Amino acid sequence: MKTTHIATIAALALAFTAPAARAHHSFSAEFDVNKPIKLQGTVTKVSWINPHTWIYIDVKKPDGTTENWGVEAGTPNTLFRLGFTREALPVGAVIIVDGYESRDGSKRANGRDMTLPDGRKLFMASSVGNDTQSK
Amino acid sequence: MRTAAVATLYVLALVSLDAQDRAKPQTGTKTAATQWRTPWGDPDLQGTWSNQTLTPLERPKDFADKPVLTEAEAADYEKRLVQAGNVDNRQPGTVQDVNLAYNQVWWDRGNKIVADRRTSLIVDPTDGKIPPLTPAAQKRRDEDRKASDNERSAASWLDFDVYSRCIIRSALPRLSTGYNNNYEIVQSPGYVAILQEQMHETRIIPVGNGTHLPSSVRQWLGDSRGHWEGNTLVVETTNFTDEGRGSTFQYATKNMKLVERFTRISDRTIDYQFTVSDPDTWTRPWTAKLPWNRIDGLIYEYACHEGNLGLEHMLSAARAADGKK
Repeated sequence: MKTTHIATIAALALAFTAPAARAHHSFSAEFDVNKPIKLQGTVTKVSWINPHTWIYIDVKKPDGTTENWGVEAGTPNTLFRLGFTREALPVGAVIIVDGYESRDGSKRANGRDMTLPDGRKLFMASSVGNDTQSK
Repeated sequence: MRTAAVATLYVLALVSLDAQDRAKPQTGTKTAATQWRTPWGDPDLQGTWSNQTLTPLERPKDFADKPVLTEAEAADYEKRLVQAGNVDNRQPGTVQDVNLAYNQVWWDRGNKIVADRRTSLIVDPTDGKIPPLTPAAQKRRDEDRKASDNERSAASWLDFDVYSRCIIRSALPRLSTGYNNNYEIVQSPGYVAILQEQMHETRIIPVGNGTHLPSSVRQWLGDSRGHWEGNTLVVETTNFTDEGRGSTFQYATKNMKLVERFTRISDRTIDYQFTVSDPDTWTRPWTAKLPWNRIDGLIYEYACHEGNLGLEHMLSAARAADGKK
């Protein structure tokens, strides 16, 4: 019974997510599933551009040198609609990025998960999934 | 005598108005015939709207015999869909994980199914399913899937679909997607314009001029012509193009015919229905219905071409892969 229930949920999940579960372009054509990466760095620039926001961070390497990485995220429109402003991620903020490295070896990663050093999710939004639509 | 006749007509008119009011759930005391009118007398569809919904286009197998849910079932279904659609719950180390890209805050799928609690947007056929594809359409579908799998070794920007290339979000008609499901309608005498937030295109629809462009003229969004049927804006679109991957709707040919019907049914809702027909693709025409709900915010610019670094990066990745072969 429990198995059936889980199977049903899985089927429903598939039915729902399959058509919509894609960003503007194929991230697997840009980033490498075999190169997961975790970066901690200081924000140097945020490009609030469409179709994807880019967040740039300085990451300190063990040898003391610094590398600047670009992290690809979603459309800024969604965040604007949620009430975030350009001040939401100031230059100098420290963030942790879990993602995948680019396939061409450039210092780029996708922002699969972005958190603050205390573990809170970056852009935590209580209003995500607001219920003003459709009903 | 004349005064009495006018008074009688007035009373009859009031009775008639009253009957219509009770028949339709509307705000205020006016009828649909007089409510939501432009200054020049056309039905008024203007404003900012969203077609965001969790209701799937096709009816899921689990609801094969359940075209409409009860309130309790709908609440449970919505909860499960929201949970299933939460990209923060994902399996690391998979291609699907990479393609989900970024965490949940960037996605905006909503958390409600359509207000009448249907289990599919498709209302015809009554099984809620897209009619069977013709053999030629099945071939187009399979070829498109193969081309999608081959993006990682793309030789040119032409190997990517029109969405990745920032040309159009998808062919008409538009369904609810992961984010930016927003539209702004502006009218003037003889025209209705629909700005689509993603990818910033504006459909300019002549109303009352039913003559389509010559069939040799093909456009990404086809050629739309509108007319009013009572309070409903009926828009017929033809002249689509198949120049580019993903430039046609659901594996259809460029000869697909689209008929859309926009009817204002309340202050905050447009009833939107579309019917698509293409004998080279489906064994019969089919119709879907989804509401456009008013939003209180702005439409934001989505200048896709200006920052489309993804295309450059994907091609760079493909060339790097070439070097490793």
